[in-house]
Amino acid sequence: MSKFMVIGERIHCISPAIRQAFADRNPEPILLRAKEQLEAGADYLDLNIGPAERGGEELMQWGVKLLQENFDNVPIALDTANMKAIEAGIQVYNRSKGKPIVNSADAGDRIEYVDLAAANDAMVIALCSAEGVPANNDERIMYCSQLLERGMERGMEPTDLWFDPLFIVIKGMQDQLVDVLEAIQMITDMGLLTTGGLSNVSNGAPKHIRPLLDCAVLAMAMQCGFSSAIVNPCDKRLRETIVACDIIKNNILYADSVLEF
Amino acid sequence: MPYKKAEQKFSGKINVCEIGVGDAAISIGGENSLPFLGTEGFKTAVGIAISDVTDEWSDCFGTIYGDDLKNPAALAKAAVEKSGADFLLIKLESADPNGADNSVDNCVATAVAVEAAINVPLVVEGCKNAEKDAKLLEKVAQALEGKNVVLFSAVEDNYKTIGAAGGMAYGQKVSAESAVDINLAKQLNILLTQLGVKSKDIIMDVGTAAAGYGFEYVASTMDRIRLAALGQNDEALQMPIITNVSNEAWGVKEAVSTLEDAPEWGDQEARGIGMEVTTASACVVGGSNAIIVRHPESAKAIKSLVAGIIG
Repeated sequence: MSKFMVIGERIHCISPAIRQAFADRNPEPILLRAKEQLEAGADYLDLNIGPAERGGEELMQWGVKLLQENFDNVPIALDTANMKAIEAGIQVYNRSKGKPIVNSADAGDRIEYVDLAAANDAMVIALCSAEGVPANNDERIMYCSQLLERGMERGMEPTDLWFDPLFIVIKGMQDQLVDVLEAIQMITDMGLLTTGGLSNVSNGAPKHIRPLLDCAVLAMAMQCGFSSAIVNPCDKRLRETIVACDIIKNNILYADSVLEF
Repeated sequence: MPYKKAEQKFSGKINVCEIGVGDAAISIGGENSLPFLGTEGFKTAVGIAISDVTDEWSDCFGTIYGDDLKNPAALAKAAVEKSGADFLLIKLESADPNGADNSVDNCVATAVAVEAAINVPLVVEGCKNAEKDAKLLEKVAQALEGKNVVLFSAVEDNYKTIGAAGGMAYGQKVSAESAVDINLAKQLNILLTQLGVKSKDIIMDVGTAAAGYGFEYVASTMDRIRLAALGQNDEALQMPIITNVSNEAWGVKEAVSTLEDAPEWGDQEARGIGMEVTTASACVVGGSNAIIVRHPESAKAIKSLVAGIIG
């Protein structure tokens, strides 16, 4: 098994500092967050430029070049609702360290993002939903199959689609969280890869409780086969949980100083 | 259905490590596949081992080297000439506090004389006493500055001294010895890297056993290390592997028993070579990037094996 893949989520236009940096084309705040995340062990960086309806293409190209030129062609997840911007970003993307990831497709209005990934030899994060959170695992697997078929029809390798089962929030939907874990197991058993935004699980919980919940659900998900996540890699507790789980799953070789490398 | 060749591609790659200087320099490592399965990079270097204490060596070496056996510089020259080896290892066994307890200065002089006598890269082995080796290999690193030798080897108890002197102050290569312990192999690489030794200046001495004497642990250790380096892209394990089989191979009863002891086993020299070649070839296909033997015929056999596999 290959080790767990960490996609760093912190270059996100929801952050006021990053939003401003995008608007001003100011590299500093973006480079700072990229550096922090890579030093903390991120494998991929998510580059979320928001809806970016105007000027998205140029902005995405600027962002991709900025990150790759400064960080040895770091692989990137291109994250926006503007398809043209993703395509533009891929045009300037250097693949030497890994294919670009299109973030994200779903089985509803955003199914064409799969086509976009297939046409550009990219990977794609595929949400197992059409509208909102799926009601149960029958729905999740149905959407998963639809997305897989769509990709394979267009020549994609099954492992180039990363399926997101949609983690649900504990406060309010606690009873359904085991379904998500089960869905990860089912998708893994199909020989497919999974990913997801983990922080949704603890949304709304007090600050000191959130890391506990995030780490526990991550460990349980990894046991079900969860192969990557979109997280804040600078969260030390989470990072350490991933390393510990990777060791227990025999994904990485143990050494006494494993946390320091 | 048309045949589709399944090819396992690895994301990781073994570091290239250069030893020696000028025309005599050689590179080891660089492969991105398991041994001999890739299209590039895998050519095992073969080294010949000598020692400054040869009293216990099998009689056949007296026949091969004659009086040179007592003179490390002359022995080094003869060993390289007779074996055609790519590099030479000198073991400074006389330094052993539980043996001759030769002084650091004397041993350093031996290493310098050996280096001057040969035109291939040099590996300097200590006496396997961690405390003495720290002092000894530090001085060797200093005396041979600019020669890009391998200090063989740093262990958990002396890696700081040997790493700082060899890998940093005097620009030598540091071999990290882990005695068939995969976790320790990784740990030592992490510790040396944290100390400031560059990854490309580290070589792994993961240890060996003579064939038939627990070698399966060696095989699984090498496999595991290579699969982690290549498949999991584990940078803490992407150093080339160097293996000295000479002490183990010539230390087992098959090699030690004389013809009088075991007449039914036949010629003692042939048995020793057999043990050494068997052990060395298993290490080579297991992933050793540099293999060290004692008998010139063993070196030739392994060189021809490697050439034959590469084709």
